[in-house]
Amino acid sequence: MSDATFGLPVAPAKATPAARHARSEAITAWLLSLPAILSYLLLLLLPTLAAVALAFTDYELGADSVRWIGLENFAELWTDRGFRQSFVNTVFYVGVVTPGSILGALVIALLIEAGVRGRTLFRAVFFLPVVSLTVAMASAWQYLLHPTIGPLNGMLRQLGIAGPAWLSDSGMVMWSLAGIGIWENLGFNLVLFLAGLTAIPRELYAAAEVDGARSAWARFRLVTWPLLGPTTLFVLTITMIRSVRVFDTVKVLTQGGPNKASEVLLHSMYQEGFTFFRLGYSAAITLVFLAIVLALMWLQTRVLDKRVHYG
Amino acid sequence: MTTTFSRRAALLSAGAGLGLLAAPRLLRAQGSTEITVHYAQPYIYKESYDAILAGFARQEPGIKVNFVTTPNYEEGAQLLLRQATTNQLPDLSYQGFNRLRVFAERGIAQDLTPLLAQEGNPAQQGYTPNLLQLAHFGGMQSGLAYAASNPVCFFNADLVKRAGGDPENFPKDWNGVLELAAKIDKLGDGVEGMWFTWSGDDWMFSALLFGHGGRMLNADETDVGFAGAEGLGALTLIDRMVKQGGMPNLTAAAARQAFAAGKLGMIFQTTAQVRGAVASVGKSFDLRTTEMPVIDAQKGRLPTGGAAGMLTAKDPAKRAAAWKFLRYSTGPEGQAMMVQNTGYLPCNQLAIDEDRYLGAFYRENPLFMPAVRQLPISIPWYAFPGSNSVRVTQTMVDNLARIVEQRATPAQVQADMAAEVRRLLPRKS
Repeated sequence: MSDATFGLPVAPAKATPAARHARSEAITAWLLSLPAILSYLLLLLLPTLAAVALAFTDYELGADSVRWIGLENFAELWTDRGFRQSFVNTVFYVGVVTPGSILGALVIALLIEAGVRGRTLFRAVFFLPVVSLTVAMASAWQYLLHPTIGPLNGMLRQLGIAGPAWLSDSGMVMWSLAGIGIWENLGFNLVLFLAGLTAIPRELYAAAEVDGARSAWARFRLVTWPLLGPTTLFVLTITMIRSVRVFDTVKVLTQGGPNKASEVLLHSMYQEGFTFFRLGYSAAITLVFLAIVLALMWLQTRVLDKRVHYG
Repeated sequence: MTTTFSRRAALLSAGAGLGLLAAPRLLRAQGSTEITVHYAQPYIYKESYDAILAGFARQEPGIKVNFVTTPNYEEGAQLLLRQATTNQLPDLSYQGFNRLRVFAERGIAQDLTPLLAQEGNPAQQGYTPNLLQLAHFGGMQSGLAYAASNPVCFFNADLVKRAGGDPENFPKDWNGVLELAAKIDKLGDGVEGMWFTWSGDDWMFSALLFGHGGRMLNADETDVGFAGAEGLGALTLIDRMVKQGGMPNLTAAAARQAFAAGKLGMIFQTTAQVRGAVASVGKSFDLRTTEMPVIDAQKGRLPTGGAAGMLTAKDPAKRAAAWKFLRYSTGPEGQAMMVQNTGYLPCNQLAIDEDRYLGAFYRENPLFMPAVRQLPISIPWYAFPGSNSVRVTQTMVDNLARIVEQRATPAQVQADMAAEVRRLLPRKS
């Protein structure tokens, strides 16, 4: 090993020194990555394959027999009102949280960047939701959004408006959860945007100004936005994946209710698998979830990546 | 480890007779058994099990008990089902009443009838037929009830007085209750009249259904039992709570918070919440409890919530030891400790009847009394048959939400609920 890594000349027996060197380097490489490969196989690939296999069975926790049922679970998913609802709700959640938290983060990042004082303070303030525990924060939200004793509806009452039941009205609950989701993701996106902004060379702004981009909007459109491209793409993908994964707030605040109005994919999966013990069916939901996440990643690497990197 | 040691002990004593110097130590090792006992919700039950274990250890010094806990019943059931497939079951597990049926039907819980029979007449030891029935599922005695609860009415006596009601003479029927709730609702300042715990599971709905004398499924469990007049009556009552009692659309947690904040006149929920309510209300208002309003004076019943211990040990020595622990925890001493540490209802008739066990406790804690007075009309929590046992309850709760949100009439909900539950029942050939 020391030969390979230090590349010392060793007397060759048959193979040329270069070939020997290359081979031992390859062996070293494999040896060094062996722990990672093993843990990837054991902790990720095998469980995933097991989940895939389970999705085609009727396995129930504690049942003594398992039957291969082919696509029956997926056929049931197709007709299951609860699953459809949770799919639609998840799409809605992603559709609101992604633009909301990206645009919000971008605007705040630009404001912080343009400001002279208090950058660190604002960065810390907006980053706080990211480092706090979602479950604990959900309890705080539960109080803030409480229909009768909550401060939010209290303020609305002062204005003469009867506030809605934020978390128990089926028309309102997804909006409330999405609002919490934006609050949760905003700080993370903000920090990424701030990092992206500092990486833009100052000279480009000066050059743009010389070339006639006088207004702030023109400078944003011509310099900031294009150069933030890679950051924005990363933020977009990570926000979408993070919001597809919404679970904690639903579990703590609404448990999918009322009448499935706030049921989301991961909560349905948990509910079916661990409350109703239908692991096979739950695995089928997991596969759908996996497909969505993979599709999002594919979208990033294959389609969008080409359009935001320059040079 | 224990087994090899005792085998060696057996060989030694066979070879060398009883006069050996090492004999006392070996004999002690032979007599000791170690069992694993699982229970859920340690934040509610821990003190009770610790007290019981201390008492048990004095009585049975040769049995060592290790506790395993899960944060809630749900995860407790998962744990046992998982361990059943890998053969790592604990020796004894305390599970929620409504999940016992799953274990009985999947052959994980053992029938306790023969063990009970060995000890003579169960009723003389406090296991009356009613109490045994609480943990009788899947056609066998799948457990012994450990802690029981039934729904009661919690009310804010200050708000009742302000609305012109008399806390000493709280209305005994739903008409009176809804009228009073409407009056409290009109007090303004964000005060709501009442809240009924319809969400979470079907337990509180079954209180209304059983209150009308109805049942969840028919006697041979082939069809739903709430498609008739009793079911409609129960659903209409929820509709009236919204329309007449001004019941707001709240989650259970939000309702409990509003009650503790003094902004809710009355809340209908399990008596197991008494301890939590006392702690969160403190001295901010006069908290009272009373019996559930009567629906049908003759046929009306109430569901029983709580937990039962089920035996899962296979090894004969461990099984015998686990049975001893189960018997002690459900016997009069164990039950007295359980009640004093949790506020649940006792599941042993001797603990209920004999003043020396709990008399003083109930005189000092009158908030627990309504549930005790309701014991004679309490029946087991109904658990649905088949693999969709737990799923059915969610279907019912989802449908109740439609009434609470006033998006469907009780009749529409009854029809949909019946159709959806029928689809989830096991097909009988």
